[in-house]
Amino acid sequence: MLTLAWTYLKIGLIFFGGGYVLIPLLQHLLVDQYRWLTLREFLDGVAISQLTPGPLAMLATFTGVRVAGFGGGLVATICIFLPCVVLMLLVGKYYNRLKEIDLIRVTLDGVLPAVVGLVASAAWSLGTTLGSLHEWLLLIAAFCLFRWTSVNPMLMILGSGLIGMLL
Amino acid sequence: MTPTVTRQNPPVSLWEIFALFCKVGLTGFGGGMAIVALTERMVVQEKQWVTAEEFLHGLAFGQILGPFSLNTCTFVGYRLRGVAGGVLAAVGFLLPSFLIVSLLAWLYLRFQHLQLLKKALAGTNPVVIGLICAVVLDMGKKQVHGYSGWLLALSAFAAAALLQLNVALVLAAAVVWAFVRALYLRRLS
Repeated sequence: MLTLAWTYLKIGLIFFGGGYVLIPLLQHLLVDQYRWLTLREFLDGVAISQLTPGPLAMLATFTGVRVAGFGGGLVATICIFLPCVVLMLLVGKYYNRLKEIDLIRVTLDGVLPAVVGLVASAAWSLGTTLGSLHEWLLLIAAFCLFRWTSVNPMLMILGSGLIGMLL
Repeated sequence: MTPTVTRQNPPVSLWEIFALFCKVGLTGFGGGMAIVALTERMVVQEKQWVTAEEFLHGLAFGQILGPFSLNTCTFVGYRLRGVAGGVLAAVGFLLPSFLIVSLLAWLYLRFQHLQLLKKALAGTNPVVIGLICAVVLDMGKKQVHGYSGWLLALSAFAAAALLQLNVALVLAAAVVWAFVRALYLRRLS
């Protein structure tokens, strides 16, 4: 449980660039390094966190529950969000004195290309789970729909679940 | 521990903060910016708890670490009622999704072996990857500019996907690089 807490705390501290960066971070640590869950289970977790309200970062809760039950989910959620909540409380306190906002902005804009690359690498390794031709066709179809229509991701995931049952 | 802002009207109760952010957490589908837009409508336009400008500052700082939807909520809570307000806003925001995700994860682990659920989830897998690809392209178009941006994006991809380096280290290195670059750009101007 301590390893779990420390792992999620570390991720919380290096959690730059919004929710999607969690996909490569968690995948690397939990699937490749600790082997706490399989790539398939991880992908199912991403689907579930897309289906539910709240930030995509709730993926941390799912993986925590998978690793150590309800308590694991609680510890994972608290640890991953603790650093940013504390930071925001400090920002709120010294808000009027923080004049370096431009520097922060430029730094963040500078990190974002790396985040894009890392999220792409997650898609790359998640793609290794796909075997059959119809899975690849489904991927391409989904990509095109997300790219060129404004269809709701939730509906798409539910719909693809139905397709999966029928196939 | 009251925040620096002096308000004429009576302070918002902690319960009210908790309840409102619970509502945001429960109805905030779609992640990230969709949630921030919802929060803005509730907190700035309907309740008028903070000004639009203050909210935008909170959002800007919120992008430093973690998910900015959560950070914006924490910031607004703090501005209203100090540390207690900030913590309650964060907990209220996360609680509904925490409970829902925990329940779904539990159901998933219990019924994972069922053939029908297996097939349904197998159907969602390629779609989730397709969604991630679409996000990459969308983020890439908006966030990656110029040679240095593309170089950074491609090196991060190569380091993580091909060389299998530690993702957290790659990200940390990118943060250091971006900070040094920001200092350098400021020196120039």
